Amino acid sequence: MPHSSAEAPFPRLLPWLLLSGGAIGLLASFVLSVEKIALLKNPGYVPSCSLNPVLSCGSIMRTWQAELFGFPNPLLGVAAFAVVTTVGAALLAGASLPRWFWYGLQTGVSLGFVLVHWLIYQSLYEIGALCPYCMVVWAVTAVLFWYVTLHNLRRSGYHTVPIVLWFLAVVTLILVRFWSYWSTLL
Amino acid sequence: MSRKEKIAAMRAQDTQRAARKRNLAVTLTVIGVFAVVLAAIVLINRAPVAESGGGPQAVRADSHRLQTAPDGKVTLVEFLDFECEGCAAHYPVVEQLRKDYAGKVTFVVRYFPIASHFNAERAARAVEAAAQQGKFEAMYQRMFERQPEWGEKRVPADQTFRGYAQDLGLDVAAWEKAYRDPATLKRVTKDAEEGQALGVEGTPTFFLNGTKIQPQSADEFKALIDAALKR
Repeated sequence: MPHSSAEAPFPRLLPWLLLSGGAIGLLASFVLSVEKIALLKNPGYVPSCSLNPVLSCGSIMRTWQAELFGFPNPLLGVAAFAVVTTVGAALLAGASLPRWFWYGLQTGVSLGFVLVHWLIYQSLYEIGALCPYCMVVWAVTAVLFWYVTLHNLRRSGYHTVPIVLWFLAVVTLILVRFWSYWSTLL
Repeated sequence: MSRKEKIAAMRAQDTQRAARKRNLAVTLTVIGVFAVVLAAIVLINRAPVAESGGGPQAVRADSHRLQTAPDGKVTLVEFLDFECEGCAAHYPVVEQLRKDYAGKVTFVVRYFPIASHFNAERAARAVEAAAQQGKFEAMYQRMFERQPEWGEKRVPADQTFRGYAQDLGLDVAAWEKAYRDPATLKRVTKDAEEGQALGVEGTPTFFLNGTKIQPQSADEFKALIDAALKR
């Protein structure tokens, strides 16, 4: 067997991460798609996640960045997260996947992770608003990318430290960017 | 499994457990440091805000924002009366400023209906009721654009306002309910009372970053905003 499970880290954690992370990402993408359709039907529609001037997906969903490839971004999420969920379920069922399959998954989560960084940048610095469901997708994609990568590199060690640092960095950027708004809530 | 193998397996398990513990300890330390630093920053920033929190403020968290500048550096607040002609005259100026300073200046509108204007309070309630459906801006614009149609008439303009709500695609039943709701009126008077406390006497009255300004022309307006942006 080219891919011995004995040497791979997180044999129990990873399938559950893929299953739950995929499901959460799928749900968020699905909700965003539904909201997008509602917005198309009625341009005055206020999405469920437009809560205040900063947390406002309505303003984000109307931008070109929300349709980077010519169609609404969440459609990508619906397709991709469904695959991730299925892979998690297959692993839980005892499937042993060949190396090329893992590399395919690695390619997918890596592209997703790159896209997430672009979206974060656009959301914070070009659009100037946040969309809660999108942030769920950012978070899930980062975790999935990190643990699939560790699996393929056969590394464990201080595995939660880099991902926690990544989260704290994003939180810091968000706090700094919208500080004037957050400070009114204090 | 031989004894040696068993010992080796147990050792491996021990190292794994120790590694897990170390990982957890470092992770929690990182989070702890972050939380402490954040708390310190918040506390330092909070002190001056807490002092002024009791007094009247030009902007409140629930004040209506026509548009928000992400950096929040400059905020222009207008206390206005939808039936006042001066406010209607300023409306195109403000609309132009909103275009010119999009993303740079936060534009806030606060209600200040004047008692001698027959429909001013009704108009404010109509806008507030629309705001509850996320249509503050649209109704605000409609009020000024159609002011000649309903202003200075001295008869209740309820029907006209209901028509606007309908035109804007609002849920008219919900709008009507909010329009009649005492809570809506309370929201309007809350703005006006704070305006009075701030020294607003007539409309429109503008506050730039909390300071009352009295620009006499669009150019003066721009000069004041530019100065505030440069500061």
